[in-house]
Amino acid sequence: MSVQLERVSFRYPGAAFDALREVTFECAPGCVHLVTGRLGAGCSTLLQVIAGLAPHVTGGSRSGSVVTLGRDPAGSERHDLAGRIGLLLPTPWTQLSGMAYTVAEEVAFGPANLGWDRERIRQAVDEALRLVALERVAARDPRTLSGGELQRVMFAAVIAMDPEVCLLDEPAMELDPAGAEALYAHLPVLARERTVILATTDLDRAVSAAGRVILLDGGAVIGDGNPAEILGTPRAVETGATTTVARIASLAGADLTYPLTVAAAVERFSR
Amino acid sequence: MTLGYRPGQGLLHRTHPLTTAALAGAVSLLAFLLPGELAPWALVAGLCALALVAGLVPVLGAAAAFSAPFWGFLAVIHGVFGHDLGTAVVLAGRITAILTVFLLLLASVHPGRLVDAMLARGVPFGLAYLLAATLQAVPQLQRRATAILDAQRCRGLRVRGSVLRRLRAVVPLTVPLVLGALAEVDERALALEIRGAASGTRRTPLDPPVDGPWDRATRWILLAAVAGVAIWRLWP
Repeated sequence: MSVQLERVSFRYPGAAFDALREVTFECAPGCVHLVTGRLGAGCSTLLQVIAGLAPHVTGGSRSGSVVTLGRDPAGSERHDLAGRIGLLLPTPWTQLSGMAYTVAEEVAFGPANLGWDRERIRQAVDEALRLVALERVAARDPRTLSGGELQRVMFAAVIAMDPEVCLLDEPAMELDPAGAEALYAHLPVLARERTVILATTDLDRAVSAAGRVILLDGGAVIGDGNPAEILGTPRAVETGATTTVARIASLAGADLTYPLTVAAAVERFSR
Repeated sequence: MTLGYRPGQGLLHRTHPLTTAALAGAVSLLAFLLPGELAPWALVAGLCALALVAGLVPVLGAAAAFSAPFWGFLAVIHGVFGHDLGTAVVLAGRITAILTVFLLLLASVHPGRLVDAMLARGVPFGLAYLLAATLQAVPQLQRRATAILDAQRCRGLRVRGSVLRRLRAVVPLTVPLVLGALAEVDERALALEIRGAASGTRRTPLDPPVDGPWDRATRWILLAAVAGVAIWRLWP
């Protein structure tokens, strides 16, 4: 298991309540682990705890055990994890290094920080930009890109570091529908050899990529299993963390479990 | 009027970043060390000539725009109330020289190259990043302020007219500017950490600038000039 959480609670500095409460689960490569819940459920905080940024950078207090790639990511051995954990935040413009004049330099920022040799950096940058279909803007100033292009650049910047654990926080927030579909379609491929944890409320599109869903509410895990089991239930509909198709099926009084996608609905109701 | 790096191939763009930084430091010191009311203005004249040669004439407009309020303020304080126009001329010259040389530095040295240059000299990445990010703060705040100004105008804020009206517009501009900048600092810290900025590994310079003999000689000349003037002016 590359990510193991055992009864983890976390509270931000000055907060009156815990953002995460007694969270326990494990993740390994093989499928996309989708973390979802209503806004404020604790999905982003969970990713930051797994990356060690909470409490190391954010401050606050954590209890319970977090083991990422065999180490406590917020502990004294966190330097050993540099580059092995990738985190994509939902706001790409705040992730710009400020040190890059071109998109290629921006993508190279992380690998350069890891001390890779220039040839390895060049190859990683080329491959990452090819993956997000942005080779044509490699020489552009990243500040001149659209929000969607910038988000793809930041995704490339994460992938270029070749992380073993990919933490993706609303990675399609700035993308157009086609870009989002392409991103989600790639995630299962990425998850074959890496641990991919995706936090999103964009369930209509993301659910097709997920092999497992962890449902959070008020910072606690209230469901953990395959997508149909977790999201196709009245409880998921109540929490607002399910797909449009499942909500319609619920309103129509369909039998459990609700279909999550149009294709699943067609298959179910055309019988 | 846009601050910040301007792509180009002029003299200052080809100069090693540390040489330009040394020029900025030397001009700042000489502006205070050189005697006479017109000495700082001689430095300004030299910088104007340099900007002309380096193809950075638009920077002079920005420097004048930033310096003009100081000129007016100093003229009123020292000229009108203090009856000492000479002091106003000296102070205005110093401010103009320092603003001009740092705007030239901003316009001609890309932060990434400056960081690479400092790393090549053994400066720790954290310190190099901090210095480069400080230089970038002004253009970044300018871009953010422009966006906030546009947004507030769309929401009916009137920023033109009487002094009172302009003053009233300051709060709805500065509060989101400051709060937004603070929020962005938090997220940037997360992003930098996860991208290995604090990995403790020696960073690979992506495009280390060439430090040629001309650059090294220039830096020695600047150092000698500052040291010479300092000894001349400060030696008892």
